[in-house]
Amino acid sequence: MTTPFHFPMAKMTEAMRLAMLRADPALSRFDPLPRILSFDDFSRGHCGWSQLVGNYEDSLDSMLPGYAQHSSAMLSTLGHWDAGSHGGMDSSYALKIATRARPGAQNVAIKRHTFRRRGPIRFELFFTFKPEATELKLSETDVRSVGLLFDLQCGDRDGDGERVMPHLRFLNALDGKHLQKWQYKRETTHLMPIGSEDKTVSHYHLAPGGWLDLPDGEQRLCYNEIPTKVNWSYLRFDFDLVSMKALGLQCNDRSFDLSNFDSIRIPAMKNLWCMLNFCLFAETDVAKRAFLYVDSICISGDF
Amino acid sequence: MLPENITAVVSRNERWSGDAASEPHEAGWAHEAVFFVRALKDPVGKMPKGWVEISPDGMHWVPEGTEFAMPLQRDGIAVARLKGFGNWLRVATRFEDGAECTVLVTLHLKA
Repeated sequence: MTTPFHFPMAKMTEAMRLAMLRADPALSRFDPLPRILSFDDFSRGHCGWSQLVGNYEDSLDSMLPGYAQHSSAMLSTLGHWDAGSHGGMDSSYALKIATRARPGAQNVAIKRHTFRRRGPIRFELFFTFKPEATELKLSETDVRSVGLLFDLQCGDRDGDGERVMPHLRFLNALDGKHLQKWQYKRETTHLMPIGSEDKTVSHYHLAPGGWLDLPDGEQRLCYNEIPTKVNWSYLRFDFDLVSMKALGLQCNDRSFDLSNFDSIRIPAMKNLWCMLNFCLFAETDVAKRAFLYVDSICISGDF
Repeated sequence: MLPENITAVVSRNERWSGDAASEPHEAGWAHEAVFFVRALKDPVGKMPKGWVEISPDGMHWVPEGTEFAMPLQRDGIAVARLKGFGNWLRVATRFEDGAECTVLVTLHLKA
């Protein structure tokens, strides 16, 4: 079909979409695919980002320790003792994911959806990270990592389907060494039965082992010069729900080679059909809280 | 638009003894806050009072003035209602030697 000006309708539609996106101050800094699933600007609340709670049965004591340490994300103005509120990119608020003050402690926030059409999905965010400013030192190796993961499962009529969990982290430091590189993982722990009714299992996919380096995955981000100065960075991860493979990773001006990338893959579970979950996590390297701040997130799909 | 509100779980199934406190939580957007402290198991020993603390930076804490009795039995719930608290919030308590309580601390915030 053509328009009266002999301009293909598809091109006209795309041109209009881009013009509207780029004129919208909230969305213009993103490059979303044609359908926006959610746009999370944390000046409008938590936008569905809750804490990742572990599985349990009968007693909370049955929850695996990795999950038991999680707590609720909060809305923050990035208030600092020496300079006051830093604020977000264009509002006062950001989502804050804070670990406990114990080496290796982690915290995870999650957004839970399902999908209705298989196709490419794009996860874009503006983020920054810092340790709690308990010392008058640069503290650039105190945050171990920040990262993201998806938790996906095929539809209930897909036959021998899988649960697929792509994981990516920026390993900032480990045991005090400033490593600054992107990693992925393909392994989780064994599925462990929880409780006594044979209905619930659990596994700890953010266990410390099994992380692999992305090729040429070293990247020096803008950390700034004291623990209370922050700069926002752009991150984009593309994934295809048809092939269940990663399509791309970009952080600021760098795009990374995902040709070796694979996800954690386990057999489909009986209650998770069409699951489309998104997680963000932080991890500390020292006995100091690590903070992952997220200004805004745009999740989009091509369908 | 409806005013924002959120329920945050700040301590879940934590076994508190000695000096204990919930993790810091930022709540500057909220006008009202309510803490609930529920005992998930039967407390052991003498239960102390608990209190709310506020902070200028999430690192240095001062009592806000609100106090409550820690729950005396399993599923007992202590409550603290707050207004005018700035940004940072937590609850704290101090147990005698040998005393403990396994708690679920939830924070309910309303704009």
